[in-house]
Amino acid sequence: MSNPDPELTRRKLMLGTLQGAAAVALSGCEKVLDSLSQSETMHSILESAEHVNRRVHRLLSGRYKLAQEFTEQDISPTFRANGNPPPVTNEYVEDAAKQFINWRLEISGLVQQPIFFSLAELKSMPARTQITRHDCVEGWSAIGKWKGVRLEELVDRARPRPGAKYIVFHCMDADGDGKHYYESIDLIDAIHPQTILAYELNDRALPVENGAPLRLRVENQLGYKHAKYIRAIEFVAALETIGGGKGSYWADQGYEWYAGI
Amino acid sequence: MKAAHEPAPLVYRHNRVTRLSHWLNALALLILFMSGLQIFNAHPHLYWGNTSQPDAAFLSIGAANEDGEQRGYLQLYGRQIDTTGYLGVQQGALAPSARAFPSWLTIPGYYSLAAARRWHFFFGWLFALNGLLYVVFNLAVGHLRKFFFTFEDARTVPAMIGYYLHLRKESPQNGEYNPLQKMAYTSVFVLLTPLVLLSGLAMSPQLNVAFNWLPAMFGGRQSARAIHFILTFGFLFFVFAHVFMVLTQGFFNNMRSMTTGWYREKLPLRQEAPSAPREIRPDIARALNSEGPRPKEIIDLVSIADIPVDLVREGATEVLPEADGAGSTLTEQEGKKDVEPGS
Repeated sequence: MSNPDPELTRRKLMLGTLQGAAAVALSGCEKVLDSLSQSETMHSILESAEHVNRRVHRLLSGRYKLAQEFTEQDISPTFRANGNPPPVTNEYVEDAAKQFINWRLEISGLVQQPIFFSLAELKSMPARTQITRHDCVEGWSAIGKWKGVRLEELVDRARPRPGAKYIVFHCMDADGDGKHYYESIDLIDAIHPQTILAYELNDRALPVENGAPLRLRVENQLGYKHAKYIRAIEFVAALETIGGGKGSYWADQGYEWYAGI
Repeated sequence: MKAAHEPAPLVYRHNRVTRLSHWLNALALLILFMSGLQIFNAHPHLYWGNTSQPDAAFLSIGAANEDGEQRGYLQLYGRQIDTTGYLGVQQGALAPSARAFPSWLTIPGYYSLAAARRWHFFFGWLFALNGLLYVVFNLAVGHLRKFFFTFEDARTVPAMIGYYLHLRKESPQNGEYNPLQKMAYTSVFVLLTPLVLLSGLAMSPQLNVAFNWLPAMFGGRQSARAIHFILTFGFLFFVFAHVFMVLTQGFFNNMRSMTTGWYREKLPLRQEAPSAPREIRPDIARALNSEGPRPKEIIDLVSIADIPVDLVREGATEVLPEADGAGSTLTEQEGKKDVEPGS
């Protein structure tokens, strides 16, 4: 077309201008929202909702209400493994080949005196089996059958000293930068009937990709709270001095410490 | 149609709480929508039931490599639609990258599930509490009644559609809101909002402890997630329809009524309509606007009309000019604005 319709070009021009203006407005908005997302002040304002959630949720749930449990038919054919790759140290790999006979769970911190348990000792304690749904923060869910020792049992044996408020789980897996995974829960969640340290998944020894030899199940919270490859348990009064100071590997990276939502 | 020499009066349509909660709601919905899409991006698949077996997704947005080229796709019940340029793949500074919803649609624009969750949960509270304030206040003052969809309204829906399609000359409207408006608002209030809140809460593991029935009422936790996502587009549809109506049914009049409260009635209210009281009679306004003591019968009239006296005073200056014809200028201007974009 040698002679474009002037009406058409004008319309095109107007449309183009509008599109341009919309794009500028949008990218401006995006920049504002992105910088707000990274601002410390905004972070703490938005974070206030987390504290409200924690309080309201606990008020609604009480301390001993149970998460929904499922039947054998509901169990997912494969239980997805997420997060860091399993530990790659020689010690772990060799021990894994020998069903973790050399592994010990260390319990320390604000307790009468530190104690150590072997996997066999943990398995000899009263166990709880539960078929529960695991919800990942990303959005997927899987149902698995877990067997393990109730954390309350270990709390009782450890005899925490006054002032102990949280339990920190130190893990053997690490990210690419060598930072070790860790998580923490408060003592109220710790003594919940369904909070267990699991050594079995779907009637078999806990597979390496799901956190062998021992992982936490804290059924009122999202998947990232369920620390895998546990090495040690530490009773503490505050979380500020541990790791990045937010109480969890993922909380240090901006996720909520309270993962009940 | 109203007589040309007698423009319709301004009516006080939206109270302060309604106006405030309307704009807070608009902000909350926008941020909830955009941060929600970012959260969806972390796992761009939807499933029915409790769990998410990888091959069981009924909806997926993703990227596939085709002959060395990244193609975006949307897969719905096994059917794939190429969405390159819109969904699945986004052109980055260096190379295209897989991303379900493009960054201009998400909060934040960069990938951060953690930040998106913070935005979403904060504005989720704002959305819920703001909605509660609106409902409680307007139930108390009797405002909700005016657009609550009834069986009687249901009968006049076809007539209203006919009117909008220019098939009928007369609108069946006999109150401040027509039957279609009532239907839209009522379904947002009694269906969309409660369901979107409940399906959102159903995804919380701690609330699953508190209320085992919550995910179950949607058919499982993944179903709740899918329904939450789908309802989002119910809101999007409502917002688009709402904005379209505002733009086409007198943009300035509508914006004025949602910022100052005052709306110029366009349709003559039917004679048998019981809802005339919101009109301010010019003689009342004139009396209120003049200096000196207020005649008692005017005060009585105002209280019958259910309008706070200070509000009448606020609007009185606006009512007065049109009593002698000057008010019609505004109406003409509005008419022009509506025609302009086409020229």
